[in-house]
Amino acid sequence: MIEGVRRTSAFLILAGLCACKVESKPPAIDTTGSSDPKVTSTAAVGTSSVSGARIAVPHAGPPGEWQMPAGDYASSRYSELATITPQNVANLHVAWAFSTGVLRGHEGQPLVVGNTMYVVTPYPNVSYAIDLAQTGQPLKWKFRPENAQQAIGRACCDVVNRGAAYADGKIFYNLLDGHTVAIDAATGTQVWRTKMGDLSRGETITMAPIVVKGKVIVGSSGGEMGVRGWIAALDVSTGKEIWRAYNIGPDKDVKIGPKFKPFYAHDRGTDLGVSSWPSDTWKTGGGAVWGWLSYDPALNLIYHGTSNPGPWNENQRAGDNKWTAAILARDGDTGEMVWAFQVTPHDMWDYDAVNENILVDLPIKGQMRKALVHFDRNGFAYTIDRATGEVILAEPFVPMNWSTGVDLTTGRPKVVETKKTAQDKNVKDICPSLEGGKNQQPAAFSPQTGLFYVPTNNLCMDFQARAVTYIAGTPFIGGNAPEKGGPGGYRGEFIAWDATTGKKIWGIKEPYPVWGGALATAGGVVFYGTLDGWFKAVNARSGKVLWQFKVGSGVVGNPVTYTGPDGKQYVAIYAGIGGDMGLLIAGDVSANLPYDVRERGTTLPDISRWTSWGGELFVFSL
Amino acid sequence: MSVLRERSIAALCALSVLSACTRSGGSPGDASTSTSASSTSPEQPPVSHLLVAGDSLRFIQHDENLPVGFPASVKPLLIKNPYEGDKAAISTGGKLFIAYNCLDCHGADGSGAMAPTFQDGRWHFGGSPGEVFESIYQGRPDGMPAWGGRISNDQIWMLTVYVRSLSSKDLSTENFTGKTIERTGH
Repeated sequence: MIEGVRRTSAFLILAGLCACKVESKPPAIDTTGSSDPKVTSTAAVGTSSVSGARIAVPHAGPPGEWQMPAGDYASSRYSELATITPQNVANLHVAWAFSTGVLRGHEGQPLVVGNTMYVVTPYPNVSYAIDLAQTGQPLKWKFRPENAQQAIGRACCDVVNRGAAYADGKIFYNLLDGHTVAIDAATGTQVWRTKMGDLSRGETITMAPIVVKGKVIVGSSGGEMGVRGWIAALDVSTGKEIWRAYNIGPDKDVKIGPKFKPFYAHDRGTDLGVSSWPSDTWKTGGGAVWGWLSYDPALNLIYHGTSNPGPWNENQRAGDNKWTAAILARDGDTGEMVWAFQVTPHDMWDYDAVNENILVDLPIKGQMRKALVHFDRNGFAYTIDRATGEVILAEPFVPMNWSTGVDLTTGRPKVVETKKTAQDKNVKDICPSLEGGKNQQPAAFSPQTGLFYVPTNNLCMDFQARAVTYIAGTPFIGGNAPEKGGPGGYRGEFIAWDATTGKKIWGIKEPYPVWGGALATAGGVVFYGTLDGWFKAVNARSGKVLWQFKVGSGVVGNPVTYTGPDGKQYVAIYAGIGGDMGLLIAGDVSANLPYDVRERGTTLPDISRWTSWGGELFVFSL
Repeated sequence: MSVLRERSIAALCALSVLSACTRSGGSPGDASTSTSASSTSPEQPPVSHLLVAGDSLRFIQHDENLPVGFPASVKPLLIKNPYEGDKAAISTGGKLFIAYNCLDCHGADGSGAMAPTFQDGRWHFGGSPGEVFESIYQGRPDGMPAWGGRISNDQIWMLTVYVRSLSSKDLSTENFTGKTIERTGH
């Protein structure tokens, strides 16, 4: 902890120095960074591993398939496939490619079940079943859901979809307009369709569901629209809602009852989801569930994060604002809350806590711990006891200056006074920016090395909060937060992280935020894609970039690997820049809207030189 | 056909709003008077027995949308913004743009965010005062909420004059040496 504080202070000084540098001179990386692997791959030399670490839950289905968004309930994004190795990965080449016909941000990943690949596009959320057994990969079916067009303008951060889940012969996924659908995996016929979100109140759905014990688990987006976030369970056969838990409000709605045993004393009490808010502000307080879900069958706990509190302007909501910006553990059958850990109480920087929770058993100080590892928007990497919610350690994984460290006796971050945002104040140079040290781009874990592979952002911001009125169906934000590159002259870094000690092992600096997810494989190769369109293979131990290929558009999706009908190992990734980075920050990477031509954004000043919108699936093999 | 129908209905709504505005004593917009009742044209192509020439009241603003044979003498109804060129109204419109959360979708100074920019001088649903009024009053299919009946028509006119005032930049070419602007994510 002392070390953490020391490091953070160093960052403070560094951030101060570099912020000046960045402001006074346009970043040098802009014109040269994108195409030269020598510049982008400045991995530190070092080999390390954590022995004895293991993924808490086995891979879903046969090792050659990818049936869940993250490959398993543990959210590890690890595959046992080992044909592609550091020795042969240089021979990787495109096996085939497929245009999704949709231009916007392609977050998420395909599924592979048997000899079929399932792809879900951003709005209008078309799904494709691709026959892998036939040459030319023809479609088995294509499903075009009804999907209200109004949803396009109600989604805060592009019209993304983070993927589908497979179970019981069906493909389950969410529509932007707030519906969940079940599609017969064999025929493409819609089995059921359930309205879950209220678009007129700004509820959209972008997250990937998981299926737990015969129930599809889904949650809402809309943290920027004054929603009251929830998570719900639907019957896989009928689509009937079995339970719904709100993340804000009275204990009854939040599903807090006798099972609730939070680790920290300040999280105990009655109706804290109401009393930690002034008057009725909890009713429009955000706390959406737009990120990733995990599940531990042994503990029967579903883990999910909650989004930022709304509005961003903290003056309108004094208090801890429970249970926003929190990690919540809920009973796998009933949704009852079992523990809660508020990562950023009274968040005032838009630090959602919805990033993935990776379930691993880790040797920490000579003891095996049932851990949950979470790389938060706020810049801290948390290693948490997943049975109790106790924070074992929390260390910064990116440059940060808003906090000097996490107090392990309370789990609360120690906030730097000068970085607190406030209404009608312009607070300068806060790191990380509202995009977070990491955002939706999921990390991966390899039990071979015991390391986490984490795509990160290195951005800072100025934050100007202002009063805002809630108007249903419009944004409820109350702030403006222009962003810029963080200290060091790079905007993203792909890092390897030891969660038993809270230390970075190596890093690959990138000119842009790494907005695509990671994949770890038993072959000792880790994969990720970049915003400027490079798909890269990295040595899991050394961090050396072994191979890279420039795909058709910037990557904001997540790689998966599978065994084809021919027995070969394939690696698949979406290209298709978008999401918050590609729509809001870049400003100009679309070319299909003649009535919406934008100026380039300062944050990613020349991303459009390297890439444009366009959704395409790329599949590689040796 | 549905586009034409939608557009005509939209124009009608905007027009009815306008008359309401007139009645309430606001400075009225001025509808063009050249609405000839004649509906025949020598250039009209042969038609099936189902196709009967319509009247020539012209809500259609853009010539390229006119059907073949539409009488050239019929000029579009022009709906004027009572606040056109009014600097105080532009300033008030700018405040309303923030107060009604328009800024969070369309970006600071209309630079574009969740919703399109106003700075490029290009308009998805037409950029004339009447068309912009219509967009705000009725909403648009991609998520633009309808503000008609929710805020006063007078305020919609002030928002109209404000967002039209933002249209000032030629952004046709990006040669990667030009300036950048501050953007914020969500």
